[in-house]
Amino acid sequence: MAQRRRQSAPQNQSQAAAQEEDDDLTFTQPSTSQVQRGLEKVTNAQVDQKTAEVVQYVLVKDQKKIPIRRADLVKHVVKEYRNIYPEIIKRAVRTFDQVFGLSLVEIDTKNHIYILVNKLDKEEGASQFNNPTNPKIGLLFVILSVIFMKGGVVRENLIWNTLKKLRVDPGEKHEEFGDVKKVVTDEFVRQRYLEYARIPHTEPAEYEFRWGQRADMEVSKAKILEFMGQLHEQEPQSWSQQYREAHSSSAQTGTSSSQR
Amino acid sequence: VSPDRARRRRETGGDEEAPRQNGSGSGRRRGDQPQTDGDGGDSAIGSNDLQDDDNDPGLRREIRSKYRDLINSVQQNREDMLSPSNNKLTEVLEQANKLFKDVRQAREAALDAQLLVVATDLGKEKASQLFSEGAAFDPTAFAEHLLSFMGLNRLEDGDDEQNGVDGYLPQDAWHRLARRADWCFRTAPSFHYMMGSFHAEPPPPKQRIERQRKAPSKEAKRIMPTQLRKMEESHQEATEKEVERILGYLRGYYGDEPTSPISYYEFVIDPNSFSRTVENIFHTSFLIRDGLARIYLDKAKLPCIEPVEEGEVEAGGPSSRKQCIISISPKMWRVSKFQLLTLQQHKTLL
Repeated sequence: MAQRRRQSAPQNQSQAAAQEEDDDLTFTQPSTSQVQRGLEKVTNAQVDQKTAEVVQYVLVKDQKKIPIRRADLVKHVVKEYRNIYPEIIKRAVRTFDQVFGLSLVEIDTKNHIYILVNKLDKEEGASQFNNPTNPKIGLLFVILSVIFMKGGVVRENLIWNTLKKLRVDPGEKHEEFGDVKKVVTDEFVRQRYLEYARIPHTEPAEYEFRWGQRADMEVSKAKILEFMGQLHEQEPQSWSQQYREAHSSSAQTGTSSSQR
Repeated sequence: VSPDRARRRRETGGDEEAPRQNGSGSGRRRGDQPQTDGDGGDSAIGSNDLQDDDNDPGLRREIRSKYRDLINSVQQNREDMLSPSNNKLTEVLEQANKLFKDVRQAREAALDAQLLVVATDLGKEKASQLFSEGAAFDPTAFAEHLLSFMGLNRLEDGDDEQNGVDGYLPQDAWHRLARRADWCFRTAPSFHYMMGSFHAEPPPPKQRIERQRKAPSKEAKRIMPTQLRKMEESHQEATEKEVERILGYLRGYYGDEPTSPISYYEFVIDPNSFSRTVENIFHTSFLIRDGLARIYLDKAKLPCIEPVEEGEVEAGGPSSRKQCIISISPKMWRVSKFQLLTLQQHKTLL
């Protein structure tokens, strides 16, 4: 993790010039030597204190699963310590990893957006003792599975039609989800579970769904396929294309916390 | 009544709004028939028969409408048509071929092309289904399996009989699915304070409130004072001016004939306008209040008005003043105006 950070720092700088201008004017990634100099001026305890604040901020922000922008982090928490930002985030990543079993992942290296992902796989049945589950996970699961099984991208109509068969009509208020269309095209999109984009050259405009960056990080295609097999009473391998994709990408997702 | 009209007809035929004029279509066509013969040289196609067919707006509309229906039905029933078990795509294409026989104008051809785009897209998806390795994925079957998993009771009637779906879906259906689906997610458990906390995100709402408040108040500050000042000024000024104007008239009348009393009602009533009359009464009352005029009763107990000389002002002091209320209704005004007019006539006659 530490290495990754240091390696990516100079790379970030070159990018920084281009995109930082519009996004976070207030902050440019300091260079390694700047960080070194900055660290000499503060005590270790001060850095740890800032790190703890960052960790708490991220945890609270994560309650709503809206990704955390680096610009906000710097503006609200890091503040005058921005010159040693890389060191602080490095320590925060370590804390999440070692204390909480979570990994803080930068899902968008261009706009510097982070999410928290659980490092521990859930065991079957384990969640039944856990806190009450959010029914929206079920809704999300249906959408993500259809997208995955259909090869990664589907027209919105297919999603709406499938949901209608499950008695969820995007045009009506659902007792469990409320405004379904808003949950799917706004909430899930902002949480980066889904991407919802207009299909080019369509008139009238048509939209399509893909997996969002958070789904790529959080959701195991192999496990979806396993559940699929259970539902259809088929071997997961019988969807050979999807099976191959799930098992090549699950290797990626599984180690993503240390690769990305 | 000649080529102009024929041309106009062709133009409206090509117009998007054409179907709205459905009713007038046939009638006009009959009337135009001889002209079409007449300006045959105007058209590229020589044969009368063909041309007739070409320009018949009813037929053109029908073809376009059929094309649109076909495109719509393909778009609406996309999922059905994709199912490998039917031949609907072929049926649609055969229908389109039949329609194409009558296609003459560019707009119909464009619709045909549009249908082709839609059909091609469907064909592409059908092909991808065909070539995908392993088992195909059928969302409809998936939905059915999910419903079973969610505990659908197909024998019981649903609470709400929407879309004709039957079977009863238990309350916790989505929770059931969510519990199982949760295994596929490596979501970080969300963090909670043991003793509760403030609202998860206190700063943003605060900002929002501030921003909302700031914006309108600025506007209000900018607009309100100017508005108010204007209103006050104009009102006061207008009243003052009116009162002065009326005092001028009163002094004028009085100066003309100081000996003959001026009847109050004659003075205030405007025979042409009830509202002016009310305004006159209102403004005159200021003259009385300020002691610039006085009202007294003549021998016939009718109120008369006369201006007070500069020196006499406030002579009696405010204590000796009396108040009285004058009311006038439109009905009263109409009667008195009639009397006033006849009176004036008399005067002029005399």
